[in-house]
Amino acid sequence: MPDPANTENALQSALEDAVKEVLERMFFLEADSGLPADAEAPASTLAAHLTFEGAPPGSLSVSLPAAAARVISADFLGIAESDLSGRQVEEVVCELANMICGAVLSRVESSSTFRLNAPRIGSGAGVPAPGAVVTLHSSCTAYGAFTAILTTEGTACSSAEKRAS
Amino acid sequence: MAYRVLIVDDSPAMRAFVRRVIEMSGFDLIACFEAGDGRAALDVLRSEWVDVILTDVNMPVMDGEELLTRLAQDELLRSIPVLVVSTDATENRIQRLLASGACGYVTKPFVPEQLRAAMERILGDPHA
Repeated sequence: MPDPANTENALQSALEDAVKEVLERMFFLEADSGLPADAEAPASTLAAHLTFEGAPPGSLSVSLPAAAARVISADFLGIAESDLSGRQVEEVVCELANMICGAVLSRVESSSTFRLNAPRIGSGAGVPAPGAVVTLHSSCTAYGAFTAILTTEGTACSSAEKRAS
Repeated sequence: MAYRVLIVDDSPAMRAFVRRVIEMSGFDLIACFEAGDGRAALDVLRSEWVDVILTDVNMPVMDGEELLTRLAQDELLRSIPVLVVSTDATENRIQRLLASGACGYVTKPFVPEQLRAAMERILGDPHA
């Protein structure tokens, strides 16, 4: 049976790597782990949430400052920020959550199959089920703080643990 | 040479991004069709011929695996190369999709060079 501490470390590491990889590769954005002690909360944030089925199932939420969401959406779509609609920004943030979730699960469920459900705008995280493992990762980017919360139901089994078993 | 492509993804943002990367890579597109799921893709292919299909896997209505199966069953459409562009990088899934007829696989997130290289393996160098 996997050691819960190892599992949480594996999830934390996978989430951190996934956030960094997605921001760098798809949004050309450098991200440092953690937030400065004097970091201020943004005036408004945009969040996306999705659930996934797999071993184990769970959910992922991402949130970032609304102003940052507009900037990275404009870069992603290759259009001027002034021409961007609110819906386009939401679609990009949803896709951001989708990619991070897929990248995390490909790391921790590398030998099984998972299925992502469609992301929705809004945190939607709710109260985790009893026994759920909640993993939080915050990154500092040029446009402000970026936060991802991964909740897995029951005990996740990392790819390293699967190989070892 | 100019190409006709079909991009299948339930995310409009990702469809726009993929199209942008293809164009920035130097591929001249005379037509770029988009579909939000496998069934909509098959609808497009009833009336339009394309040189390559780029498809996501996780989609509502009809996912990428089912789309590959349907294409393989069609005598005419089975010759169209399909490149899978998906967040799912699990080994099982990749092997299954390649066995189902996909001719390449690009995992999201990707750097533009990865998609360009995969497209070049199918269509050739756009600058040649």
